[in-house]
Amino acid sequence: MKVFGYTQKHMEEGRLHPITVATREMAEIFGRMGFSVAQGPELETEHYNFNALNIPADHPARDMQDTFWTTEEPRRVPRTQTSPMQVRYMEAQVAKGILPPYRIIVPGKVFRNEATDATHEAQFYQNEGLAIGEDVSLANLKGTLDTFFKEYLGEGSRVRFRPSYFPFVEPGVEVDVWFEPEGKEGRWLEVMGAGMVHPSVIKNAGLDPEKYQGFAFGGGIERLIMVKYGVPDVRLFHGGDVRFVHGFAESEI
Amino acid sequence: MKISRTWLQKYFDTELPSAEAIADALTFHAFEIEEVDGEVLDIKVLPDRAAYALSHRGIATEVAAILKIPLARDPLREALPAWAPAGELVLTRGAEDKVNRKMGALVRGVRVGPSPLWLKEALESVGARSINNVVDATNYVTLNMGQPLHAFDAKKIAWHDGKLHITVRGVAAGEKITVLTGETYTLPEGALVIAEAVEGTALDIAGIKGGASSAITEDTTDLFVSVANFDGPSVRKTAQVLNLFTDASLRFQNKISPELAAYGMRDVLALITEVAGGEVVGVNDQYDGNAPQASVSVTRERVNRLLGGTLSLADIEDALARLGLPYTVSGEAFTVDPPFERRDLTIDADLVEEIGRIIGYDTIESRQLSPVARPLKNARYAGIEHIKDLLRMRGYTEVSTQSFAAAGDILLANPLDVSKPALRTELSENMSAALMRAVQTAPRVLGPTLPVRLFEIGSVFRKDGEHLALALGYAATTGKTKPEHLSEVIDALKDELGVTGLLKRVNDSVAEISLRDIDFEVLGTDYAPLPFALGAFRMFSVYPFALRDIAVWTPEGTEETEVANLILKEAGEHLVRIDLFDRFEKGGRTSYAFRLVFESRERTLSDADLDPAMARVTETLNAQEGWTVR
Repeated sequence: MKVFGYTQKHMEEGRLHPITVATREMAEIFGRMGFSVAQGPELETEHYNFNALNIPADHPARDMQDTFWTTEEPRRVPRTQTSPMQVRYMEAQVAKGILPPYRIIVPGKVFRNEATDATHEAQFYQNEGLAIGEDVSLANLKGTLDTFFKEYLGEGSRVRFRPSYFPFVEPGVEVDVWFEPEGKEGRWLEVMGAGMVHPSVIKNAGLDPEKYQGFAFGGGIERLIMVKYGVPDVRLFHGGDVRFVHGFAESEI
Repeated sequence: MKISRTWLQKYFDTELPSAEAIADALTFHAFEIEEVDGEVLDIKVLPDRAAYALSHRGIATEVAAILKIPLARDPLREALPAWAPAGELVLTRGAEDKVNRKMGALVRGVRVGPSPLWLKEALESVGARSINNVVDATNYVTLNMGQPLHAFDAKKIAWHDGKLHITVRGVAAGEKITVLTGETYTLPEGALVIAEAVEGTALDIAGIKGGASSAITEDTTDLFVSVANFDGPSVRKTAQVLNLFTDASLRFQNKISPELAAYGMRDVLALITEVAGGEVVGVNDQYDGNAPQASVSVTRERVNRLLGGTLSLADIEDALARLGLPYTVSGEAFTVDPPFERRDLTIDADLVEEIGRIIGYDTIESRQLSPVARPLKNARYAGIEHIKDLLRMRGYTEVSTQSFAAAGDILLANPLDVSKPALRTELSENMSAALMRAVQTAPRVLGPTLPVRLFEIGSVFRKDGEHLALALGYAATTGKTKPEHLSEVIDALKDELGVTGLLKRVNDSVAEISLRDIDFEVLGTDYAPLPFALGAFRMFSVYPFALRDIAVWTPEGTEETEVANLILKEAGEHLVRIDLFDRFEKGGRTSYAFRLVFESRERTLSDADLDPAMARVTETLNAQEGWTVR
């Protein structure tokens, strides 16, 4: 019989939220591939959340994401994705006179105005990735994500691409990862959207799209934690319930 | 969009593979498939390809390209007839900036009735309802080749001077229209209607839905067939305000080509006269012509640089040819003249995507990025994590709460939860709630003696901007919470990390610190956040736990674990936690007091569950030589 607590009753240390733990692990893995961690505002301007990402007003692509708007004038948007940091980051580098290569991940909270259920939350975390250089290719995207998922989800993991569409990438792909949970059969999971950064986005950030190119990806952090550790409901993450945080055995590496 | 394999087969002389095989081909080369149900595929066509692919014809071209099965016919590559205008029809484009093309035809002498079986079956197979032969013909053509179109009963519209006058106009303030399905809509500013031009009677919400007043019924004999191209954003806006997205609005908002209208007119007139008889009087066309689609060029080097591949000229030519894209080659450069319906092909990267996906992304190799010499810049991130690590080390557990609040400086125009229409200006409120809940579950989570200690670091949104804040919560579970409990950790943050900026002490249990002025880069320089490994998640029970205490005298030298193990053995399956909360020695004996936590994952436990368990425990402990349960 397994009795939770007895052996740990002397534990005096607290716990970190699984999002924090997962983000550190991601930062560590991507860090080994040269990616720094960048963070940006959660309340974004329409410019960075949409326009600079090649999603003009009145474009049907805006319907792809259910957006909260503020009543401010001009209105702002609790960011629907971590992608606005792509442009913010590149702009800031260009302003400092630093040219590519750029490699960042952007973990952070995003917001979608959609009904919540066990797999949908109006607030969740995404991890964005951006790599810009002179010859960063779709093959590099595959290699980078293969490495990440092998380390994060297990050696048996690998990724595959399916064609998709996000206005800020071209080509755009949906990324599936092959996941083999211990003692269970492997399966393909849809885990992120990705692609080659759209030339307009590179241009909007102040770089020459003829010279520089690269990839970007973005996916939900909760979803990865859910499949990796067996969390049944995404609403557990941000409900402020310590029983959730204590539901994971935590050990320092 | 629902696509029927049987319907697709009309585009091919060769037998198509199974619906599953088609789904598989499309999945890895074109579109996500939502569902395959028998012969019908539900295909998720995203906005970039919607101008050509929201149709059986469009999907057929994809299937042809991916599976290398030649198209037997392509209605968009077949010549258009030359139509004579109908003298009785006076057609104007009206709101010209929002009407790219307006075509109209008069058809006389149709016999409205049920559709032939094939037409009925085709529509029903993709979830559309069969109404009558004329309406079915229009719906079929839309689903077949992607052009929305509509047939009106020409006799239900007022004629003037022996002529039918039709235009498109903006709506008057508060103007209403009753649509085919019976609902009445008040049209928003900016909406367009197709209208009788002399009296102005609205006949149809342009690009969205037909009106009830000129609906086709069994008595209808003469038709006004309307095929148009409306401005996409305008249609989208109206559909959004009315919350009325239709097969027509969906296609217009994705900016189908105005060229498509003529092909739609050709096909619908042919089908109406085939299934309902009648005679086409004439076709009028108000159109300035379409600026030819710009040609797009890409070099082999660019294709391979973006994909990271080694494609040959022949590979690229094969992909373009399979897609039916007209191209020329000059050296290593390809120039494609996109067909009018391919409005998605505007830059070289678009062509790279076409080539890459048709050849298959599975052929892209997995290649590591080349190493970069620049050091990581993680100081800001590490600085935030430094604070978290300090708090964790001092016994604080991190929680995460929602960013929306009942009140705040910044309001949402469209909150999901109307009771929380603002962005939070502080974390304290959520912390107080989280702390109260944590106290209730503390015996289960922490045991009988540890205090509840919580923190959250998150963004707050205030008049002075967005910044991070830190909320702290402390609740003693034995004895009273004192002010110095929180003060101790607040002082530690100040002494060890220089984190100051106390925003408020809500009470002895909750405090909030603004992190607005903290230089995280300083805190994070040379700091590496502690790495942790998590174990599998074990869901907590949603049912309440129950507590029982038991104390026992034991002979001197009895170990705590001896007692605990006996309790564990006897207490039954619902015991989930056991903690020693008291131990003392007296007269050569040792007293151990344990708190037992019982819980079921299926139900609320009652005395009927706990009493027998405690009786077994008591009996077993008493049965030990020299032990007495107190």
